[in-house]
Amino acid sequence: MISLYLPERTWLHGITAGRKLFALALVSLLIAPFDSLPLMAGLLAAVLALYASLGRAALRQLSLLRPMAPLLAILLALHAWNGDIWLGVSLCLRLLAMILLANAVTMTTRMDAMMDAVEPLLRPLAWFGASPRAVALAVAMMIRFVPLLFALWDALNEAWRARTGRRGGWRLLAPFCIQTLKLSHHAAEALAARGGAPRGDTR
Amino acid sequence: MTAIRLRNVTLRRGGRVVLDALDLDLAERRIGLIGANGSGKSSLVRLFNGLLVADEGEVEVHGLKASEKASELPRKVGFIFQNPDHQIIFPTVGEEVAFSLEQSGLPRREALKAAVPALARFGREHWAERPVHALSEGEKQFLCIIAVLVMEPAVVVLDEPFSSLDLITRRRLEGLIATLPQQVITIAHELDAFAAYDRVLWLDGGRVRMDGAPAEVVGAYREWAEAQAAEQALAGDAEAGA
Repeated sequence: MISLYLPERTWLHGITAGRKLFALALVSLLIAPFDSLPLMAGLLAAVLALYASLGRAALRQLSLLRPMAPLLAILLALHAWNGDIWLGVSLCLRLLAMILLANAVTMTTRMDAMMDAVEPLLRPLAWFGASPRAVALAVAMMIRFVPLLFALWDALNEAWRARTGRRGGWRLLAPFCIQTLKLSHHAAEALAARGGAPRGDTR
Repeated sequence: MTAIRLRNVTLRRGGRVVLDALDLDLAERRIGLIGANGSGKSSLVRLFNGLLVADEGEVEVHGLKASEKASELPRKVGFIFQNPDHQIIFPTVGEEVAFSLEQSGLPRREALKAAVPALARFGREHWAERPVHALSEGEKQFLCIIAVLVMEPAVVVLDEPFSSLDLITRRRLEGLIATLPQQVITIAHELDAFAAYDRVLWLDGGRVRMDGAPAEVVGAYREWAEAQAAEQALAGDAEAGA
């Protein structure tokens, strides 16, 4: 199960969400014009060193990259076909480094701190009648329910395999959607039972 | 003052009468609701905090008329659902508790600060930073209860809270419920959970079939349920034989 947030405090937890997000944006802007292989390799090495400095739990999150492998393979194959494999390699290195860097921010920042940092950017939404708090709540709920949806998929797959001996695959999509809607109905009811989503900016 | 009062309350869902002209005064501190699936238990308790609205009649909860002050009911009536995973809204324990504090009127920043002392009142201050998916089932249920109690409701409704708990966790939860100062209304199929309750109501087809001391009502319900099961088994055999 993916668990984005690291409960053990690391030095990166101590830096404010705003600074971390700003640094992330800055790095991605600064490297944007370049595609030199040594630079990208150096960047990835630096990011890996950052993970090492955060401890074992952070390094374990590197497994998060496994689902990325097919995508990277396709990218590499496309570039090889175009006759520019090294550009492909450098592109993959850049992608890996930036994904890991973004994940480093996610796993060391509490959701509320993240939303505090992002809320000022959402403020223009209020001009259109949407509450930034409601958006913040929706994002928090999304993060909360991702592991639950994975568990739901696993449960459906298990039920399928128990009766067929095979993996369910795409055939689970329809029941998964129905179960997800049911789950969202329960969550909505529980939210209503506690007084519903906060309206407007209450600060 | 009667805590919860229903006068001639009828509720329909999808054309079906779910609650049928109920008159009830619920003043006891510990009240149990039992009955077969579909008897109206869950619908009844949903009237108490405005999750459902009666089609006819009047519901009054601690002086609030549900028809007039529906939006204030969630602060009066805390609700614990069967599956804690459906109820926990936030990724970390601290945020979950802070949300409740915010719902009861604290500004957001103060709510976030107050979450840790609120958890400390239940001996769980070390949970504040924990991701909720790392908690066990029993711990999640406990978090749901903490999140409801910090809103300081007058009534706590538990809708089948024991269904997914092992016996040890269930007994601990029952122990915790017993200490609550609030009025508690519990729906459960674990009939022995009501032994120390003040009053048990048996719902059947949207009406109160029996109402009284736990021993009598639970005993009668158990007898009825066993007889029903035996009867249905006989009917099934007859059908299979024909």
